[in-house]
Formats: sequence, C-alpha cells, structure tokens
Amino acid sequence: MNASSEPASSAWSRYAALTRHAFQMEFRQKNGLAGLILFSIAAVYTCYQVAGSRAEAEAWNALAWVVLLFSAFNAVAKSWPEDAPEMRAYLIHVVRPQEWVLARITFFSLLLCGMSSIVFIAFTLFLGTEHLNGMQAVYFFMGMLFTSIALASLLAMIQALAVRANGGFGLIAVLGLPLIIPVILIATRYGMDILNGISFADTAHNLLFLGTLSGGFGALGFILFPYLWSD
Amino acid sequence: MAHNIWKIGGFILIACVLVLVFAVPMGPGVLELRGTGDTAMSNDLDRKVPEYVLTGFGTHWSENPGDLQVLVRSKANLARLEVMEVLDDTHARIGLTLPYSVPSKSWDVLTNHSVDGTLLLENGLFLSDRFIDESISLSGIDIEEFEADLPFHFPYQPRILESIRNLMLHVPMWFTMFVLMGIAFVASIKQLASARATAEDEKAESAVRVGLLFGILGLVTGSVWARFTWGAWWVDDPQLNGALVTVLVYSGYMVLRNSLESAALRARLSAVYNLFAFVILIILLMVLPRFTESLHPGKGGNPGFNSYDLDSALRAAFYPAVIGWILIGLWMHRINMRITRLNKKIK
Repeated sequence: MNASSEPASSAWSRYAALTRHAFQMEFRQKNGLAGLILFSIAAVYTCYQVAGSRAEAEAWNALAWVVLLFSAFNAVAKSWPEDAPEMRAYLIHVVRPQEWVLARITFFSLLLCGMSSIVFIAFTLFLGTEHLNGMQAVYFFMGMLFTSIALASLLAMIQALAVRANGGFGLIAVLGLPLIIPVILIATRYGMDILNGISFADTAHNLLFLGTLSGGFGALGFILFPYLWSD
Repeated sequence: MAHNIWKIGGFILIACVLVLVFAVPMGPGVLELRGTGDTAMSNDLDRKVPEYVLTGFGTHWSENPGDLQVLVRSKANLARLEVMEVLDDTHARIGLTLPYSVPSKSWDVLTNHSVDGTLLLENGLFLSDRFIDESISLSGIDIEEFEADLPFHFPYQPRILESIRNLMLHVPMWFTMFVLMGIAFVASIKQLASARATAEDEKAESAVRVGLLFGILGLVTGSVWARFTWGAWWVDDPQLNGALVTVLVYSGYMVLRNSLESAALRARLSAVYNLFAFVILIILLMVLPRFTESLHPGKGGNPGFNSYDLDSALRAAFYPAVIGWILIGLWMHRINMRITRLNKKIK
C-alpha cells in the first residue's frame, strides 16, 4: 500500500516482476498446468464422442464456446500459491494493489489465450474444419482470443473476491457465471456469424464489444481491487 | 405526518391504479373475418357469394344493426362487403361481394358503426382462390372515418386484448427494480468510501433485497403476459434473458453476503460485487437489447416506449402506476433497512 517508502523499483518493474513470478510459479508446478490441458483435451474429446466429426455449425459453435468457458473457469478457479494469506500479508507491503491486479489480469489473459489455442487446435483436430475455410478459422480463433481476454479481466476480480470470502469453486461459479453471460452472448453470436460465412467486416463490431467489455471490467478491477485487498 | 406524505401518496396511487386496472372497460376492436365454407344468397348482387363471419371484440352491433358497414382496403382500393345479418353484439354474417378479379390477395378490414366508430383489422382478409390482376382498381366508395365517443376505456390492441391491463403491473416492477438497484449502487460507492461504519452496506443490502423481489415479480408478470400473447411461458429473447441473468447476478450478491462472517469484510466485498452487478445490469437491460432483434415491445433498435402504443387512457393509469410502485418500493426498502438495523442492535 505504502509505495512511497518503497526503494527505487518503479511501478512498471514491479508489475513485470509480478507477472513473471506468476508464470514461474505456474511452470514450476507442472502438474497443475498439465491438469488444465488434460481437462480441455478430455472435454473436447467428449464433445467429439457426442457430436462426431460432422457436427452441424450450430453444435460446433456451441460446443467450442462451452469448452472454452469451462476451461477458463477451471484454469482460474484453482488455488494459487499467491492467494495464501501469508503471501498477501507480504505483498501488501511490497506492491500496490493496482500493480497486483494488472499483473493478475495479464497472467490470466495469457494463460486463457494459451488454453483457447489448445482448445481450438484440439477442436479442429477432432471435430473437423468443414465449417471453417481459410480465413474463417483465423477469425474464429481471433474471437476466442478476445473472449479469453474479456473472461480473464472479469474472472481475475471474481477469483480474488471468492478467495477473500474463503469460498471455493462453487462461489466463483455462482458469482462469475451470471456476470460472464454478456461476454458469452456476444462471443457465440460472433462465432455463429463467422461459421455462417458472414464477412468479417460485418461482424467485427462484436470484437469491438468484447474489447470494450474487457476494458470496462479491467478498469472496474483497477479501481475496486484496492478495497478488496486491504484489511 | 408531513414526512410520511410520500408513503400515503404512494399507497393512494397504487389503490387508484389497481381499481383502474381491473375496472376500466376495453375499447372495441375487430377480432377476425373468417369464411364459413358456405355460400349464401346476396341481396345486392342477386347471386350466391361466399359467406364469412365477422367477429368483434367489445362491439355494440345489435344496438343499431342497420348501421354496421364492412369494407376491405388494399392500398387505394376500397370495396364494400355486404352485411347479411347481425347475429349479436360481436358477430355478423358477411357476404364476400368482391368480383372474381381483384387487385390484391391481402386486404385490411374496416368496420364503421355509429356506436363503435371506425375499427381496423390489418390484413384481416386473405383471398387465396381469386384471380389477381394488379391493374384493376376498385374505388368510388367513400367512408367517413370517425372516432367513437366512448367513456374512459383502454385501447384495443390486436393479440394483446385484455392483457393490456398488465402494463400497469409488469412495467413498473422493472422501473422500481432499476430505482432500488440504483440506490444500492450509490450506497455501495459510499460504503467503499467509508472506513469502518456499515450503515451504507445495510442500505445497499435492503435495497437489493427489495429490488430482487420486484425483479422476480417482473419476471412472473412478464411470464403470464408472454403466455397470453406469445403462447409460451418463456421464450428465448435477449430482453428476457437479460432480465433473468440480472436476477441471477443479484442472487449471487445475496449468496456472497451469506458466505461472509466478518461485518466489515462483508460490507467491503459485497459493495465491490454490487458495483460489478450494476454495470452488468446496465449492459444486459439497456445496451445489449438495442443491438439485437427482440419480440419484446419497444426493443430491437430502441428500448423506449413507442408513442403510438400509449394513448391518453393508458397514460392516465400508467404514469401513476410507475410513481406509485416506486414509492411503495422505497417504503418497503425503508422498512427492510430498519428491521436489519434493529436485528443488529438486538445481537
């Protein structure tokens, strides 16, 4: 909190250090990361078993977003070593809450972008690409990345809230799922437009909505996180 | 007394509105013009013509049976149908005295009557077995359109019919919810600004609790209305989904409150969540429906009221209903807040 007493390190370097630290911790604990990837691939494979490799465009779209959504919740809702009360008690004296929440959003965004890459590759591998020709695949994947960032900027805040309330996965789901619905509505509509062959220029405004939502959630998190973090 | 005047005012307004909602009669309208499959002898043309039955809603045809005129209109073409017999106030036998070649398949039906005035049923007649020639023009008839001088009544709307009374119950529920959630939003901001006291948190909690009640009542009244007008208790529609998700988000707020023990932490965390919830409420109910197609009146472009949907009788009942329900909601909020504070004092 009291950053003025802090020595030479700048806000930017503290933010970079926090982000780097989050990745270091993640890659050090390889079983956690492997579990997330396994969950996503297993979910896609279940979809493949249910829908087969010749799914209709509607089913393809719905399954892709549901798998992405659940992968995102799974990725965010696991317990992070940084969330331990001792860690917070230490960090409060070293970094500003704003730096911490921005680092958290960055980390979650990159993590979820990685997860959505895995989901997308597994999806095209198992459920086929008959609805995605050439640039359509690129546009669909772009939509997944935008959605990942929007999910990350909201779920970072919800996850911190649930941790402070000592609630587990259940509380994150109860608080997060309704709040996430606007994002999912826009994302599924965009995905359906792309799969139906509507030109990118005619549906790109949905990406703008997603970007605006990410910015809005990020700004809300930036303003409100200090109240959440302090004692 | 003086500081309670708004509560008494709200109570009186709601009492008056409830009387209006259930006591004011409906205006007349034309329900349908349907073929019976039979033919009947026409007096005008002296040959057999297809027989139709015209059904009215709240009309008074048997008062002056000779006055009833039935016409059909398609663009500039106007033709008269023969009224064979007025069966009762709302039913009449009509002879389809149109020629075999007509300029259009689809016609609006107009009725003229001295008591009910001029009534219109858009696309009320569809001719599937006539020869269509667009070059034909039927004209030469003039009708005198006039508004009937009826006592205070709610306007007839196709398909909505009597359920228009629900306007005074369903819509104000959402307005009241918006006001209460707005109060909770402001209280949550104040709560974050204050360090230890939890007074604003209690205010926000009771506002959300009463607001949720109004939201659920809004869903229930809307569901009843959807069943009547759209034929299903629930339809997949952006406005309905937004309303349901809003209720879920605020239910999440109550869950979050119950999972926290410490009053200071609960005040802070639930205030943070409430700010998110209000932003989502604005996005779901005011932003997203503007960009999507919707069955819901006034949506799909502009979620305001269409001016032509509200006539003077509806306005006279609707505006007092909105103000009255909001005042009752605020009163409930005050009582709820006082109970919360007294409970806290007892503990």
